[in-house]
Amino acid sequence: MGFLARRLAALLAVLLTVTALAFGSLNVLGDPLFNVVGFVASVDCDAVLAGEIQDVSGQTAGGRGDCEVIEAARREHRLDRSLPVRYGYWLGDIVRGDLGTSFKNEMPVRQVIGEKLPKTLLLMLVAEVFGLAIAVPWAVAAAYRANRAFDRVSTVGSFGLLAIPNFAMGIILFYFFVVRWQVFPSRFEDTDLLARLKSLVLPGLTLGLPLAATYQRVLRTDLITTLQEDFVQMARAKGMTDRWIMFRHVLRPSLFSLVTVFGLTTAGLIGGALVVEQIFSIPGLGRAVVEAVIRDDFPIVLGSVVVIATGFVVINFAVDVLYSFIDPRVRRDA
Amino acid sequence: MTPDPSGTDSGSLTKPEEAFASASAPRARRRLGFGFWLSVAWMAVVVVLAVLAPWLPIADPDETGFGGRLDAPGWAAWFGTDTNGRDMFARTIWGARVSLTVGFIAILNGLVIGGFLGLVAGYFRGPVDRIISFGFFALLSFPGLVLALLIIASLGSSLLVVSMTLGILSIAPVGRLARATTLSFAEREFVHASRVLGATHTRIMVRELLPNVLIPMSALALLGMALAIVAEGGLAFLGLSVSDGFSWGKMILLGSAPRTLRDGPWVALVPIGAMFLTVLALNYAGDRLRQYLDVRELAFGGG
Repeated sequence: MGFLARRLAALLAVLLTVTALAFGSLNVLGDPLFNVVGFVASVDCDAVLAGEIQDVSGQTAGGRGDCEVIEAARREHRLDRSLPVRYGYWLGDIVRGDLGTSFKNEMPVRQVIGEKLPKTLLLMLVAEVFGLAIAVPWAVAAAYRANRAFDRVSTVGSFGLLAIPNFAMGIILFYFFVVRWQVFPSRFEDTDLLARLKSLVLPGLTLGLPLAATYQRVLRTDLITTLQEDFVQMARAKGMTDRWIMFRHVLRPSLFSLVTVFGLTTAGLIGGALVVEQIFSIPGLGRAVVEAVIRDDFPIVLGSVVVIATGFVVINFAVDVLYSFIDPRVRRDA
Repeated sequence: MTPDPSGTDSGSLTKPEEAFASASAPRARRRLGFGFWLSVAWMAVVVVLAVLAPWLPIADPDETGFGGRLDAPGWAAWFGTDTNGRDMFARTIWGARVSLTVGFIAILNGLVIGGFLGLVAGYFRGPVDRIISFGFFALLSFPGLVLALLIIASLGSSLLVVSMTLGILSIAPVGRLARATTLSFAEREFVHASRVLGATHTRIMVRELLPNVLIPMSALALLGMALAIVAEGGLAFLGLSVSDGFSWGKMILLGSAPRTLRDGPWVALVPIGAMFLTVLALNYAGDRLRQYLDVRELAFGGG
C-alpha cells in the first residue's frame, strides 16, 4: 500500500503543477479579458477612474463607460485578485465540475468538451486498435525468423514509418483514398456509430501506422529475448508446433514492455489526434481548441488543455500502477 | 549482423545465439556506416541550399505568376507551381530556411537550458536534484503539442516564440540525459583530483563534466531537431505556425486543401518529401550516433 500511496501523492503533485502551469501561462502571457471587452482592456483604467486621463477607447460617448464595463468584468472574473488566489478559486470550481463558460456563445465549457471529447477518444481508440492489430502479427512474423529477409525489410519499414509526420501520413492517405479513389467520405459522417467508424478508418490508420511501428519494435525485441528462454527449448523438445509455441507460450510473457510504451505513446497520440482532426474535419476536441485559439476563447482553451493534460497524467499513473502489478519488482525503487 | 553460423535450418524459430546478437542493442561494430554518411550528406545539401537561398539562381518564392496555376512538375518548374503560380522548387528551399531555423533554435534552447539544469541536478544532487527532477517530470506530464499550443496561443507565433517554445519541449529529455550522464561521471577520479586541486564547483562542472555530458547529447540533438521540425509542422495544422515567412509545415498545410490536392498533389507532396527525407536523415544519423557512442536509452520516449 505504501507504493500506491506514494504514487497517488506524486499524481496529485503533478496534477497541481500541470494545472497551475496551464492556468498561470494563459493568465500571465495572454489577456484573459480580451473577449469580454476587446482591446479596451489595454487602457489604463486605474488612471481613468482616478480622473487623471481621459478614457481613450472611444466606444461610448460617456467617457468612463468602458472602464466601468472593464471593472465589472474584472470583478466577475476575479481579475482584481492576485494570481494564486484566482488559481485557488478556479481549482475549486473545477473540483466542483465547473470549467467556466465560453466567452463567445456563453456555453458552459463542460458541455462543449462533453460534446467533442468522445469523438477524439473514439479516434484514439480506433488508432490503438489499428496499432495493435498490425503490430502483433508483424512483430511475431519478424521475430519468428529474426535477422532474416523479412525482419530486415520490416525494420527498415518501421524506421521509415516513424519518420513520416502524422499530418503527412494523413494527407497521403486522404489523397489516395478520398481524392483519387473515393473509397471513404471526405467529411466526418455523424449519423450512427457505423458511419462514424467508417469516417474514422483513415484518421485511425494515420495515427495507428506509426503506433504499430513503435509497438512492433518493442514487441519484436521482447519476443526475441523470450525465445531464448529454456521453456521454449523445452516446448520444442516436446514437439509442439512453432505456431503453438509462439502464440501460447512466448507472446504473453513478451507483452510487458508494450504496457510501458502504451503510456509513452499516449502523448504523441493526443497531439496527433488534435492535428489529424483538422485534416479529416472531425469535430472533436482538437478542432474545438483550434477554433477557440483563433477566437481567443480563453476558457475553452484552458478547459480543454486541463482535461487533456489531466487525462494524460492519469493514464500514465494507471500504466505505472498496472505495471507494478504485472512486475512487482518496480515497487521497490522510486 | 552475424550470418547464421550453420547456414541451414531456415524454417525454425530464431536460435538463441542469433536472438542474442540482436537483443543486445548496441552491436559491437564501432562504425558509423554508409547510411550515416548518406544522411549527413543529405543534411549538408539541405543546409547549404537553405543558407545560400538568397544568392541561388532560383525564382523568387513569393513571385505569383512565375508559372501558371498548378503547373505540373517539368523543365520550367522542377517541382511544379502552386495555386498562385509560385515556383515550388524555390519555395521548398526557402521553406527549408524556416523549418531548419526552428529546429536548430529549438534544440539549441533545449540543450542550453536542459543541459545546464541536468548538470546542476546531477552534480549537486540532494534537494536541488529533487526540485529540478520534479520540474522535468512536470514538463513531461504535458503532451508536447498541447504545451506548445498553450504558450504560442498566448504569446503569438513569431519565429522566435515558436522556436523557443518547441525548445522547451526538449528541455526535459535533454536534462534527464545530462543529469544521468553527470551522475555517472561526478564520482570519477578525475573529478576528485580536480576538487583536491582546489577547483570551484563552476570550474569542475564546466571543465571536467560538461565535455563528457556533451558527447551523448550530440546524438540526442539530432533526434530533437527532427522532433522540432515535425512539431512545427503539426503546429501549422493547428493554425499556429510561424507567422513571418513560411515553413515546410505551412506549405504542406496550403497544399492539403482537397481541391489543391485533387488538381495539384505536388503542392503538398513536395514539402512532405523534403520533410520526410530530412527527418529520416536526422533520425537515422542520431540513432547511429547513439549506438556508436553507446548512450543508454534514457530520453525521448514517445514524443
